[in-house]
Amino acid sequence: MKKILFTLIAIVLVVAAGLSWYVTRKPASPFDAVAAVATPSPDLIAKGKYIARAADCVACHSVPGGKPFAGGLKMGTPLGAIYTTNITPDPKTGIGKYTLADFDRAVRHGVAANGHRLYPAMPYPSYSKMSDADVRALYAYFTHEVAPAAVADKPSEIPSPWNIRWPIALWNLVFAPDTPYQPVKTQDAEWNRGAYLVQGPGHCGSCHTPRGAAFNEKAMDQGGKLYLSGALLDGWYAPSLRNDPNTGIGRWREADIYAFLKNGRNGHGVVFGSMLDAYNNSTQFLTDADLHAIAHYLKSLPGDPARDGKPWAYSATAVADLAPAKRSSVPGAQTFAAKCSFCHQPDGKGQSPWIPALAGSTSSLVPDAASQINIVLNGSGRVMANGMPDSYRMPPYRAQLSDKQVAQVLSFVRSAWGNRGGPVTAKAVADLRKKTDPASPQVIVLQMR
Amino acid sequence: MQLYVNGQMVEVNSDPDTPLLWVIRDELGMTGTKFGCGLAQCGACSVMLDGKIVRSCVTPLSSVGDAQVTTIEAIEADPVGQRVVEKWIAHQVPQCGYCQSGQVMAATALLKENAKPSRDEIAAAMVNLCRCGTYNVINDAMLDLAGLGANKGETL
Repeated sequence: MKKILFTLIAIVLVVAAGLSWYVTRKPASPFDAVAAVATPSPDLIAKGKYIARAADCVACHSVPGGKPFAGGLKMGTPLGAIYTTNITPDPKTGIGKYTLADFDRAVRHGVAANGHRLYPAMPYPSYSKMSDADVRALYAYFTHEVAPAAVADKPSEIPSPWNIRWPIALWNLVFAPDTPYQPVKTQDAEWNRGAYLVQGPGHCGSCHTPRGAAFNEKAMDQGGKLYLSGALLDGWYAPSLRNDPNTGIGRWREADIYAFLKNGRNGHGVVFGSMLDAYNNSTQFLTDADLHAIAHYLKSLPGDPARDGKPWAYSATAVADLAPAKRSSVPGAQTFAAKCSFCHQPDGKGQSPWIPALAGSTSSLVPDAASQINIVLNGSGRVMANGMPDSYRMPPYRAQLSDKQVAQVLSFVRSAWGNRGGPVTAKAVADLRKKTDPASPQVIVLQMR
Repeated sequence: MQLYVNGQMVEVNSDPDTPLLWVIRDELGMTGTKFGCGLAQCGACSVMLDGKIVRSCVTPLSSVGDAQVTTIEAIEADPVGQRVVEKWIAHQVPQCGYCQSGQVMAATALLKENAKPSRDEIAAAMVNLCRCGTYNVINDAMLDLAGLGANKGETL
């Protein structure tokens, strides 16, 4: 009996020691024995700047009006707010003392130079797919071109004991890939380039892939049917990027995807919500070849008819409801006629490509109405293409329309012109109104700007 | 690009995404059409395209095509528009006047579509904003035009 007990204790101790080693160890980096290059070539720095654009580092590691990459963006989590960090080369407050291997561990493995685990709000599960060459270039850019800014990191507001970080190492073991992108041999070079950009630096899945109970993305590449199949995040519904004709981009051609990422608009829609930031800061700066590669890869992802349903077809039925004589008897029609129809048109077709159609738009067809409620309440930001602000913008109706009016006008839109997104309740509007109120203490998970 | 404005063909050079409002005001120099909010909310910039009301601040030049643009400058060339202007004067509708070219446009477009609108239809169609609060007199003029009698002081 005693012998069994001793054996058990010994096993427990060995397992505990092993676990303790595992969760605090610094993972190996291919750059561990690599000495820093004193003066990287301008080409390498330029390449790093391009990767930083593709990875949209600035979107989270900056605040409006702040220094680029100095961090400080508040992100709500269910346990409390966290703040993004200073990734400028300032030696005291930033990453000035990071070696290339330290930098690699943070970007691709979610481990800071002092060994603590980053929260996966940093998309290192995606960045882990980045190539050694791109990480090296990114490091050259951050250490030799980004201006150092002495801005101290803000401590996280997650209370003890939830702020203990070592369990994240176990989360990583299960959910975070840790090998760079491996080309798929059966696909051509363009497809593989697109897959690399989408899965790796572009981290499209961070918003567009549904998450599981542990906040893990349910798939990290085309091997999973739910990869990029649409998800709710930050009060916006990021739609499917698969070939779903209704809830995804099934009706888009490759040229449409290219136009959307290059110009912020196409015949099907205009960037809004979180995608506006991704467009303004990132996608428009990618080369034509890379954008075509992304389009090529996305169009290879099959849709799911069981989830997506029968393809949408236009129907003019709602147009008659907007005649002055009928408006008052159809809920939402008068609000649509007075507030929405001058831009989006009584036929729901918008003024393409400047003002998007609501007829057949993804947001009018997805069951989750969050994006439509959010944009009606809060409007859209400026689309900045080539440094020029857009002429047309969705105004916020937070102060003009009641919860009931928003619910009615959206229910009208979502059942007009062949749309079938389903009705919106006043309660859903009230809920999002509170959560997206800048003055509210109630958090949205991963609230960005 | 060619544009048909107030019965005349004009050549314009603005970019295709330029709001029609700025083509009318800046390029063609016709300043009767006003800029109010720039967001299709107030109606000060209303003009007619083929007799239908549009907000020119949210109408990209590229979506105008061959449609006939009618601005306030030519409203009296239209028999319905002429009646509206007469009643607007008879009822002394404008105060500061800034929104009134848009109001006259909205009234004309409604009456061209429906010569005898009901009170509800007038309320549904006349949604332009007026900071002076001339809504009561607008309503009087509209009821008069619709043959429903001028009911002084009745609210919309």
